[in-house]
Amino acid sequence: MSEPMIAIQGLTKRFSTADGRKHLAIDDVNVEVAEGEFVSILGPSGCGKSTLLYMVGGFVAPSAGAITVQGRPVTGPGPDRGPVFQEFALFPWKTVLENVMYGLRQQGVSKAEAEARARALLDMVHLKDFADFYPKELSGGMRQRVAIARTLAYQPQILLMDEPFGALDAHTRTVLQNELLGIWERDRKTVLFVTHGVDEAVFLSDRVVVMTRAPGRIKKVVEIDLPRPRVRAELLVNRRYQEYIVELEQLIEDVHLEAAGA
Amino acid sequence: MKSALRKLGPAASTVLSLGALLVLWEILARLAQIDGFPPATEALVQVPLILGERESLASIGASLWRMFLGGALALCFAVPVGLAMGRNKRIAQALNPVLTAAYPIPKAALMPIIMLWFGVGDLSKVLVIFLGVSLPLIYHSFHGAHAVDEKLLWSAMAMGMKPVARLFKVVLPSALPDVLLGCRVGLAMALIVMISSEMIARQSGAGDLLFNALDMALYGDVYAMIVILAAIGFVLDWVFERVRRRLVHWAESRQDAMVPGGGV
Ligand SMILES: Nc1ncnc2c1ncn2[C@@H]1O[C@H](COP(=O)(O)OP(=O)(O)O)[C@@H](O)[C@H]1O
Ligand SMILES: [Mg+2]
Repeated sequence: MSEPMIAIQGLTKRFSTADGRKHLAIDDVNVEVAEGEFVSILGPSGCGKSTLLYMVGGFVAPSAGAITVQGRPVTGPGPDRGPVFQEFALFPWKTVLENVMYGLRQQGVSKAEAEARARALLDMVHLKDFADFYPKELSGGMRQRVAIARTLAYQPQILLMDEPFGALDAHTRTVLQNELLGIWERDRKTVLFVTHGVDEAVFLSDRVVVMTRAPGRIKKVVEIDLPRPRVRAELLVNRRYQEYIVELEQLIEDVHLEAAGA
Repeated sequence: MKSALRKLGPAASTVLSLGALLVLWEILARLAQIDGFPPATEALVQVPLILGERESLASIGASLWRMFLGGALALCFAVPVGLAMGRNKRIAQALNPVLTAAYPIPKAALMPIIMLWFGVGDLSKVLVIFLGVSLPLIYHSFHGAHAVDEKLLWSAMAMGMKPVARLFKVVLPSALPDVLLGCRVGLAMALIVMISSEMIARQSGAGDLLFNALDMALYGDVYAMIVILAAIGFVLDWVFERVRRRLVHWAESRQDAMVPGGGV
């Protein structure tokens, strides 16, 4: 196998708490993600999933350990890694179209070309008619579609998604999971996807990394060997899918029990 | 028809409450029969007379010009300082105590000291307006820059935006609703300080007109000046509010309700 897209070695993060103590958020995490792979980080809230993702994004510096992307050490954010946040983080003073064009303009793409590409992406996420709307005029699901389009626009090799559908209602979440999977199955970007939803992780991923809490360590890595393209209705009656769900639910339950016992 | 009425709503209620105030003033003054409290009608007839005089118009114009200069200087100075404080902990820690101490000081009370340094002319008055406007502006800009969503900055960083560009393209627009709120407070403050500075350094200006009339016991003129100043404040605020809405129409509406300026 060639060099991994993302290599995380001995990654550790300590935060100083308000009372001056050190809180070990991430402890000695080792993961490799291959090019084109869809990997989920699954764990209960507070186990350090976001912190892990932010460190890969270069937004937060590790306390120890190393992260390399395509063999180059991560020293800060870069357009090779496109983040999608749970809170959407759209620029509220820009229209939908301007938001999606922003990264391209930032990289020196001409206005005409940036607009053409942005419009194509908006079409893909079914927001063609909302190009001139402002974020505040959109629903949560629409905002997250814009955010995904904005990140896809500057063509990062890696998508870093932090519970992107966590703030949405169940129905919208399902719709967006399907859309994301559709997009991904077409161009097979490398995706690191943080979630606390077992179904979501199994439905989307090639591999699921289960984390423990306080400190955040890797409990187990589960390979999801299910055929693609995946169709939800078919998976629900798929025996192997059900077994993955049960296995991961069990692991998450263990994590909770360990945390309670500790 | 109905929508036309509704459109009239706020304007009509403004006219109504101002009318009620005038009626109340008229009645109270007629009842009280005090020299220093003329009825509304006696004061209001002076308004066109004052505004018809070239000299008093020039005086009011000079006041507004100084107010504009002080405000413009404050804008250039206070917004960058506030934004810097909001983005940099060290700067905030260094300046915060100064701000906290300076905030409750009545700026017009500094007028005599400033006059010692810069004389009784325009410079002192512009400076004291500048001080009065700067504090609320720094405070609100600081608050706005401090509250900038980190993820917006991260998104911009991931797109490859450099630090200086982020300051202008992310921090400034993010903080704009707060900055403009500070401007509105600053506007009220500027009017207050403008008049009080002219009350202390009597030389020219709307405040000078007002206190001259008071010295000469021309109470109708005094109240007419107060009405004129109130009208100026009202118009400026109305214009500013329209501009503000235009600039931040994209913002999620928070409590848009306004606070009047704090201490003088
Ligand atoms: N900036 C920070 N300062 C201090 N502690 C933090 C900070 N960010 C996260 N933490 C702590 O690190 C732990 C993991 O947080 P996070 O990565 O947000 O978890 P998750 O995304 O899995 O819910 C939590 O205990 C949280 O309180
Ligand atoms: Mg999180």
